[in-house]
Amino acid sequence: MRTITHLMLSVLLAAMASAADLRPPAQVTAGSAFSISSSGSGDATFYLVGPSHVLKRQVKLGQAIAVDGDHVQTSGRYLAIACGSDGCSSAPFYVVAGEPDRLSFLLHPSRVPVSRGDAINATAFVFDKFRNLVLKPVTVDFRITPKTGAPFTKTVKSDRGVAWMKMASTPKEGPVKVIATVASAAEPRIIQQVASDACNLRIRASRTAKSVLIETDPVRDCSGNAVPDGTIVSFTAIDSNGKTTVDAPIKKGVARAELPLTGGARISVASGVVIGNEITVGGRS
Amino acid sequence: MRAGLSLLILVVTAVLVGMGWVQSGGMARQEMRSAGTPQEAVESLLSDIQARKWDEAYAQLANKSDIDKSALIRELNGSDGSLRTYSNLQSFSIWPLHATADKAVVRARLTWSSAVGQLNNVRDLNVEHVGSTWKVAWPKPNVPKVPPQVIPVNYLRWDVIGRSASDDWGVQNVDTPSVRITSMNAVERPDRVVIVGEIVNEDTVPAYVAINATLLKEDGSPLDQEGSFDLISHTLLPKQVSPYRIDFPGFHLKQVKSVRMDAKALLISASADPVIAVTDQKMDRDSLGKNVLRGALVNQSGQTVNIAQVLAAYYDSNGKVIWVSDGYVDNALLPQVPVPFAVDVPDDVASRVQNYHVLVNHYSINKNS
Amino acid sequence: MRNHFVSLFPSHAERGPSPSRRRVVFLTVLLLLAGLCSLGVIRVVHADSLPQVHLNADSIGPRPIEELTGHNVTRDYANAWRDLAQALEKDQPDLLNAYFTGFAKDALLKKISEQKKTGVHTRYVDHGHQLKAFFYAPDGGEMQLLDKAQMEEQILDGDKVIHRENSTQQYLVLMTPGADRWFVRSLEPVPASFGQ
Repeated sequence: MRTITHLMLSVLLAAMASAADLRPPAQVTAGSAFSISSSGSGDATFYLVGPSHVLKRQVKLGQAIAVDGDHVQTSGRYLAIACGSDGCSSAPFYVVAGEPDRLSFLLHPSRVPVSRGDAINATAFVFDKFRNLVLKPVTVDFRITPKTGAPFTKTVKSDRGVAWMKMASTPKEGPVKVIATVASAAEPRIIQQVASDACNLRIRASRTAKSVLIETDPVRDCSGNAVPDGTIVSFTAIDSNGKTTVDAPIKKGVARAELPLTGGARISVASGVVIGNEITVGGRS
Repeated sequence: MRAGLSLLILVVTAVLVGMGWVQSGGMARQEMRSAGTPQEAVESLLSDIQARKWDEAYAQLANKSDIDKSALIRELNGSDGSLRTYSNLQSFSIWPLHATADKAVVRARLTWSSAVGQLNNVRDLNVEHVGSTWKVAWPKPNVPKVPPQVIPVNYLRWDVIGRSASDDWGVQNVDTPSVRITSMNAVERPDRVVIVGEIVNEDTVPAYVAINATLLKEDGSPLDQEGSFDLISHTLLPKQVSPYRIDFPGFHLKQVKSVRMDAKALLISASADPVIAVTDQKMDRDSLGKNVLRGALVNQSGQTVNIAQVLAAYYDSNGKVIWVSDGYVDNALLPQVPVPFAVDVPDDVASRVQNYHVLVNHYSINKNS
Repeated sequence: MRNHFVSLFPSHAERGPSPSRRRVVFLTVLLLLAGLCSLGVIRVVHADSLPQVHLNADSIGPRPIEELTGHNVTRDYANAWRDLAQALEKDQPDLLNAYFTGFAKDALLKKISEQKKTGVHTRYVDHGHQLKAFFYAPDGGEMQLLDKAQMEEQILDGDKVIHRENSTQQYLVLMTPGADRWFVRSLEPVPASFGQ
């Protein structure tokens, strides 16, 4: 008799505090409020564990469990867990990114030589307003405005949140503005196109009382762009005393050096890996 | 009684002082000062220089009347923030070259310890027999005079403003400079493997560069990794080329399957000033018969360069870099004043050198960059 | 005359363990077992060994991956997961500094902060990762990978395990290079159907 009573009481209690069955939506948009239906009865502790969030509160089983949008701002996999007196049950679901709202835009390099093929790389990452990567394909526009010439646009479909493109630098030096846009988000970046290596590097020399003054023609690259001031030009003179070298920076487009030469000498010039002409100066009369 | 006691105390004190003087080597110094041979004279003088006893050193010279004491101290102690001002005479060795009854020439090899390591120089000193002792006739110090003038400084200067730590990822930024290793050559030396070559700053902004190399075994695993340390010009202006050398002591080429090079470059504030001319470069032999590359440095700017380092790259007939050597210059580079330098070249390298290129690293105390 | 020495091995006549001998044997065995267990515990405690990570870069683009870069990415991703597991289990946010940055680090820091408030924490038993690299930016500044991770995940409330799961979970990973290592900048769990 006692055994039967105990058995009946156990079954009754088990029925009253039966294990919960949670049914969240298969997919939720980040930041959106939603509810999770639950079966069973009695009190339970509800947990929501996600990539950046942990929620714990008391709920009543058998009722819908409301979840505020603040708790699901980060996209990814979430676990809804309910623990009653009969144990715990869980159900996973995914939160996906919302609509595109912002971009992380990387444009490299910040300085690029002119007339270089595929030298400029643009990579844009598409995010929603909660900084979740938008994984569905979206259209990203890259609007390019060079210093000279007409602006143009390249349109790229993002793949797994990334849109990228390559382009050549134009022949003229100067700033190039690139703006990446998606939906209402726009990110501008500016890179500098700079003169390439020196081309047709030429020098001329003139004697002073105690030395020889050597000067280059205005130093330009093969597209006619002035090589920036500060670029080093190496002058080398070989005479009877040996070799003399001076590394002089370009100033106002021209590099100059004064070499203490009294006799005849052979003088050459170089900048980086580019070699210029060679001249010969005679001794003092 | 009282007078006797005082006398006794006086005598005892004198004896004790005398004992102390002898104990501290006073006799030895006195013997040295009364140098009986040219070598003793040079040794005595250099000992005082080593101890920075300028008065005693000056007093020993045969040609005091020709030499200004302050000029002598300036020459030996360094000036203008030069490397010599941070150095000590660590040791010296001397040997006679030739001698007569009245004159002699003694060669002294001086080893200075400095912040950048050991510096050696060799001097041939004239020694004269004056009265009963030998004394050194020190060469008259040449104190350069820079004429008063105004030298305009209008060279370019670069300053760097980067993104701040709080900036988001993907904001506008400035890229690190583009540098390229243009040559690399692995050389076997008796006790080490040496990697030499050149690097160029291909960018339009100054770069701070450093190069590391990793020797790899047959299976691709690393054998050893070393850096260029000061055997490179770390600050490279746009289109400037620097030699580099990386030493791997204790290794041999036969252990090495390949070498992995890693050149790192950072943006740096810099100035295009000073311009230093390297004049009269030639391969030569020093007084000890060693191969050296000689020349002179001329600071063409108006600011003193306190410490200068010469880096030289040597090329064979194919234009390949076969060696890189360096040397620090003791004296500061005053504006427009030539300062000689000489860097060692190994004998087996000297015989194959067809061409060379010299670069000057410089450090100035008052520089803003 | 019989020698007076105590034999460790009792003669047949003397066999039959005395209570004191039984105690000694029992204590010895207990000590040995404790030692073996502690060795086992030490091995487990010191198993900060890295999780297994295998990288497949066959379909990477547009930039090809250098061998050294592949090696470093693999190594640093493994380090990141080791640190992530320890940080979440022990609620130690500092452990994330070495290999996490940006959004991934912010998200994990927030999670640890909330774990501390609620008393809930996460334990991962890492059974390895199959990494597939598919995007490497032309300038080498970003790399995207898909990670199929074999994981046992436990959620604990205090000491009570409220959820335990052995599964394969996919992660979309964004890594960016630092001075001497690759950092995990984004680590997003994605459904199994992603990337199919």
